[in-house]
Amino acid sequence: MKFFHSIRWRLQLWHGLLLALVLSGFGFTAWRLQRENQMGRVDHELEQRMGLVEGSMRPRDAPGPDAPRWSSREQNLFDGMPGQAFYFVVWLRDGRQGAVSAAAPSGVPQPERIPGPPVFRSRGAFRECFHDTPEGSCVLVGRDIGDELAGLRRTAWLLAGSGGAVFLLGLTGGWWIAARALRPIAEISATATKISDGDLAQRIRPDDSESELGQLARDLNNTFARLQAAFARQAQFTADASHELRTPVAVVLAQTQSALARERPAAEYRESLAACGRAAQRMRGLIESLLMLARFDSDETPEAPERCDLSRIAEESVALLKPLADENNVRLDVETTPAHCWGNAGQLAQAAGNIVGNAIHYNRPGGTVRVMVHPEADGAVLIVADTGQGINTEDLPHIFERFYRAEKSRPEGREHSGLGLAIAKAIIEKHGGTIDVTSESGVGTTFRVRFSAG
Amino acid sequence: MRILLIEDEADLLVSLTRALREEGYAADTATDGEEGLYKATEVSYDAIVLDVMLPRLDGWEVLERLRESRRTPVLMLTARDAARDRVRGLDAGADDYLVKPFDLEELFARLRAIIRRAAGQTMNTFEIGGVVVDTASRKVTRSGNPVALTAREYCLLEFLVLHRGETVTRTALYEHLFDEDDDSLSNLLDVHVSNLRKKLGHELIETRRGHGYCIE
Repeated sequence: MKFFHSIRWRLQLWHGLLLALVLSGFGFTAWRLQRENQMGRVDHELEQRMGLVEGSMRPRDAPGPDAPRWSSREQNLFDGMPGQAFYFVVWLRDGRQGAVSAAAPSGVPQPERIPGPPVFRSRGAFRECFHDTPEGSCVLVGRDIGDELAGLRRTAWLLAGSGGAVFLLGLTGGWWIAARALRPIAEISATATKISDGDLAQRIRPDDSESELGQLARDLNNTFARLQAAFARQAQFTADASHELRTPVAVVLAQTQSALARERPAAEYRESLAACGRAAQRMRGLIESLLMLARFDSDETPEAPERCDLSRIAEESVALLKPLADENNVRLDVETTPAHCWGNAGQLAQAAGNIVGNAIHYNRPGGTVRVMVHPEADGAVLIVADTGQGINTEDLPHIFERFYRAEKSRPEGREHSGLGLAIAKAIIEKHGGTIDVTSESGVGTTFRVRFSAG
Repeated sequence: MRILLIEDEADLLVSLTRALREEGYAADTATDGEEGLYKATEVSYDAIVLDVMLPRLDGWEVLERLRESRRTPVLMLTARDAARDRVRGLDAGADDYLVKPFDLEELFARLRAIIRRAAGQTMNTFEIGGVVVDTASRKVTRSGNPVALTAREYCLLEFLVLHRGETVTRTALYEHLFDEDDDSLSNLLDVHVSNLRKKLGHELIETRRGHGYCIE
């Protein structure tokens, strides 16, 4: 039942119900008030005339007469007013009917005898008041209230009519307001559908930025923007990764196809196989780096951290990179003081190695890489400073991005995947550390890595 | 046909050079942009295979500077498959574009195509007298019978056929048939011409004394 699940229909239902309840309550009360007011006036007049009739019938010395004795002016109160036909009927003590006014309808039933004050009753289009006199007779005064009843009926119809009109107006207004209030939801839903269809650039246009839905639209737009950025980064990463794999695959294809084109001496086959092996090594390195990054991205729970000496980690990394430094004619200066931090020693060594390797790689021949570790007030700091040509200001914010290379053309020498600094940063941030970089053109670049001891 | 390979990936460069030479091309190599640009400007190559990612000077820049002086056909090699890059390469004056990794056969086919186009030829087959040269399959027939030619002989014939009607100087022939590593003597050219005449008939290649050779 889609109908009952629609918010708009449910709102409308409740709204209609409430409106009907309020309108009928008000209408009924108004009608009751009007009726009581009218009846009260009629009853008051009846009571007055009852007093008149009783007074004129009160005996002075003899047993009570059976008819009122009164003046013609008093008589006029019953017969003289057109449209307000009051009448009276008197029953004697023995139950016989006594005096009856001219305007009395025929066959007024004798009321039951109820001692006490005058009693009122409605009988069809007549309102009557009767009272047992102390003398034992019963006096009834009545009036045709047809006009009043008709007036009340008119009032009731008027109230019902205007109530109905207000109800319809309310329903229409409610429908319109509900539609207006829910329109942003339709917009949001349409946009979300487009986004789920793959158009990530879609955004919701909030009509009313101050309302709750405007706020929701803004929040959703922010989410969409972040999603789109993440998606673009992922796509770029995949493109870069496949791009990095293309060159070694090209080597393997060219080597194998040319080697297999004809019979060759064994030495040539060996050369081709060695080239294929180097290409495969490169691909393996790249795949390992990518997997490592993917693992950091998926945020697997880190292995139990242990207390590590950052100075020893740095020294070991430097020792491993000594051959590379020699090959590039770069001197490695190490100044360390024991400084402790918490983490996975293997991963920290990888991060340190990547930063130092990068510093060697981008250094000038005959340059120096200074590696310093010392404790800080609340942790440990690793500083790697090179004497390379420095990094351009516009490249500086991007150097930790995956596959980012400051030079547009490929650096010479050892193959460099462009993932080293990205991996280092991922490791450091996973350990709650920070890495920042400063660079001066022609002087060199300095990386500072800080870990808190806590 | 003499080709210049500009590629910094040593293993790729070695295998491409070997394959090209085995196809009968004369192949020179350069491992960075500057060296590549220098050679490309100095020597009249029939085609250049140019990698985009190069040390010192990237492929775009090499192409741009080369176009200031030479119209040598250029085949760009790149690891980027984005359409934007392909468009950029072709707009910058590259004659064709090949994305790594590629098949050697495709590289050869594309090289043949850009060399043929640069020579102003659109057809694959040429018929001179009773001799038919198919540059796509690199087969030569005489009166319907296949003729076996060495790679060098074929290249000499193809060069003359592509420049049909022109007199090709001995220097030009030597430049286009032998690469920088070749220390063959120039009289080897006469040996190849004489072999071709033996196989295809003496009237096919005319000698313009003091100028060079010509196929009418």
